[in-house]
Amino acid sequence: MSNAQATEQSERILKQLVDKGKPILGYVYPHTPLEIIMAHGVMPTLLYANPTVMGSYEASLQTFACSFIRNMFSQRVNDQLPYVDGIVFPGNTCDSLQNLADIWHLRYPQDKIFRLTYPAGDQGEAAVQYFAEELRIFSNSLEDAYGSPFSDAAFRQAVDLVQQFRDAVQFLYAARLLQPNSVRYHRIAAFVREFHSAPLETLVDELRATVNDVENSLAEADRVDSTKALQHALLERRLEDVSLPSDLPTPRIAIVGGMTEPLAIAELANVISKVSSTAVVFDLLSFGFKTIFTPMPAFEGDLFETMARSVLGALLEPTQEGLPKRLDFLKDALTHLAIDGLIVCEQSFCDPDEFESPSLLAVASEVGVRTVRLPIDSEFSDRARLEGRIQSFLETVAHGGAE
Amino acid sequence: MPEKAKEEKAYRVLESHSFLQRAMFRYMLEGHAASEEGKLAWVTSGFPVEIPVAMDVGVSYPEQYGAIVGSEKAGPKLCDYAEELGYSQELCSYARASIGSVKHPEESPLEGLPAPQALLACNNICGTVLRWYDAISQMTGAPVFLLDTPPLEGEQLPHHIAYVRHGLDNLVSFLSKQFDTTLEEDKFREVTDLSTETIGIWTQCLEACKSKPSPLNCADRFLAMAPVVAIRGRDYTLEYYQTLLNEVKDRVANGLGAIRDEKVRLLWDNIPPWFRVFRIMGALAKKGVVFPADTYTHAWTGSIKDEDRMDSIASMYSNVYLNKGLEAKVDKMCDLIKGYDLDGFVMFSVRSCKRYSLGQLVSKELVSERTGVPGVVIEGDMVDSRLQNDAQIETRLDALLEMLL
Ligand code: SF4
Ligand code: SF4
Repeated sequence: MSNAQATEQSERILKQLVDKGKPILGYVYPHTPLEIIMAHGVMPTLLYANPTVMGSYEASLQTFACSFIRNMFSQRVNDQLPYVDGIVFPGNTCDSLQNLADIWHLRYPQDKIFRLTYPAGDQGEAAVQYFAEELRIFSNSLEDAYGSPFSDAAFRQAVDLVQQFRDAVQFLYAARLLQPNSVRYHRIAAFVREFHSAPLETLVDELRATVNDVENSLAEADRVDSTKALQHALLERRLEDVSLPSDLPTPRIAIVGGMTEPLAIAELANVISKVSSTAVVFDLLSFGFKTIFTPMPAFEGDLFETMARSVLGALLEPTQEGLPKRLDFLKDALTHLAIDGLIVCEQSFCDPDEFESPSLLAVASEVGVRTVRLPIDSEFSDRARLEGRIQSFLETVAHGGAE
Repeated sequence: MPEKAKEEKAYRVLESHSFLQRAMFRYMLEGHAASEEGKLAWVTSGFPVEIPVAMDVGVSYPEQYGAIVGSEKAGPKLCDYAEELGYSQELCSYARASIGSVKHPEESPLEGLPAPQALLACNNICGTVLRWYDAISQMTGAPVFLLDTPPLEGEQLPHHIAYVRHGLDNLVSFLSKQFDTTLEEDKFREVTDLSTETIGIWTQCLEACKSKPSPLNCADRFLAMAPVVAIRGRDYTLEYYQTLLNEVKDRVANGLGAIRDEKVRLLWDNIPPWFRVFRIMGALAKKGVVFPADTYTHAWTGSIKDEDRMDSIASMYSNVYLNKGLEAKVDKMCDLIKGYDLDGFVMFSVRSCKRYSLGQLVSKELVSERTGVPGVVIEGDMVDSRLQNDAQIETRLDALLEMLL
């Protein structure tokens, strides 16, 4: 499924839901707690940059706003946002989003705007307590806005659904690393995209069927158990004991970057697939690995605290404290997952991406992994040049591998 | 300089300026000495500096150093060095200038800031500071301590205070461990008292500008703010502000303005373009334009109260101007325009500072609507002159003045 088809399909699904009277809440930050939104009977949908939207932000935003928020705001100005009845913005992540929520609220006071503020400090229990309270406030504001109280049963159902989804995609991630021809990266990215657009049971059913097929293919090489072990190691972020088969196809490429959407990047990387469908084996993207490998809420004690622990248990973002930890994990991943090329995506005018990428590149070079830096805008307006860069990078990596 | 030539300037130079230079020179020497002793922290401008100061940890301010880089017109060169290391030109130019100066101190004004042994960041001014200090940490090996003060929407709620308060306790532990020091109650009281008193006198200097003519222009305040940002909590800082306040009061009593012929009173919003600010202000002064208030120097206000001083710090530092929403910024601008009886406002849109600048297009409309005075948005940068188009700025300012003069 292409990026454009995914957008069309998600709009179709959202329309059906709206027709049935389901309120839809848009979100923009990868670690939005879908389970809490769903516990209020509201459908969360991830808002994407829309490449067909032309700049209409100029009266409210300067040109140095990041390309993502310019695109989002233009969608609102043009009335092109898909069926949402409210948006939740994160607080305390990046300066651009922080200000966008305020601008939006002042420009469109009639819109339902929610703010969920995250701790940027890696402060253990204190951060959990702070965030749990923010989640409680968020939940109360959902109740006020939509008139539907938090339902314990709906929450548990949502946790279960999200967990089934994550568990299945985690398995696919591990399978792709161990036996790249068992599932295409593009396929994984499409599942992630669809679930973020509308977390529905039907999608999880489809995902389960894919997992079965992949399991069968892995079983032929007796790799089901090692795939599960790798899934676990990834979840625990302890990769030192990972052992990979010796006959893996090369090159093995990983993609890293902030708010870059996996499906969009997978499509861009199709140029690689034309050469080698097994090349992209891993990502450390926010809407990819980081959200997929979020630990499951533990259902102990206070539910908001449980959720806070889960969300803060994910591999943190460049907007949060903990660069040394992230770099250590990247180094581990590059080394123990036998990666030989790293694509570093960087959204234009995105402070978090642009600050972190020199450190990511330095780590890769330290462990001898070749890199390419991909400055992108949300609309991928420079597609031909980006594809060219990826193409020549792939050639370099392939050449490096032969040396 | 012959007396006559001095008289002809549109601008009155402050006598207390020499005290300011002495205070800043002392601050600089203290920074070098602390670094040599292995006891220097770099600190963001919104950091509760009273705590490291009370624990005998020396401090240096990279943002202020950025202002020096800007004034010395070394911005493009140092930013370029950061860009060579892979930091995009779109990033905060204070950050880029400091990264560049760490890489090439020999080519930097004052040979760069003294080497830090710790980096203390408080994100109450923006999220960028954490990432900037992370980058410096990668280069210098000094560890980063983040005091997380999530942005406020309205009142600061108890869980927010508790979280920040926890961060402050962590800060004390971090400094104790890093610098083998303790926080003694007496010293803490002394430093916080001095800090509160300094901020109080600084606020009086600012408020004196309600007088007509205004005793200070914003370029005066941009210079005079340096110690309240960098060295509040020191006795010599307090002395400097007392001298400044006396001079300001004197000017008010004698009807002397910062500029000789005040015709138009404007508000300045945002950090100034350090490499051009005196030229812009000087040219405007000749036309009778003074800036009795600005949002930047008014950001250092508040007081550390007597009850639990740590709680008071948690509240004061969470409630700073840049940590609040756009609505609060609009309110503040409207209050300043009304309180200082201003005729219009200039919003400097700083390309590399998103936190301060994104939203100005909307606030411009709202402020004009609510106060009835016109405003203009001009775009440029505080340090990196490559990002600024002077001709465009001049045209826009002229258009505003046409309405007012
Ligand atoms: S792309 Fe970057 S700057 Fe833009 S909203 Fe996302 S994290 Fe923030
Ligand atoms: S981004 Fe803005 S507020 Fe933050 S350090 Fe740079 S100039 Fe200061």
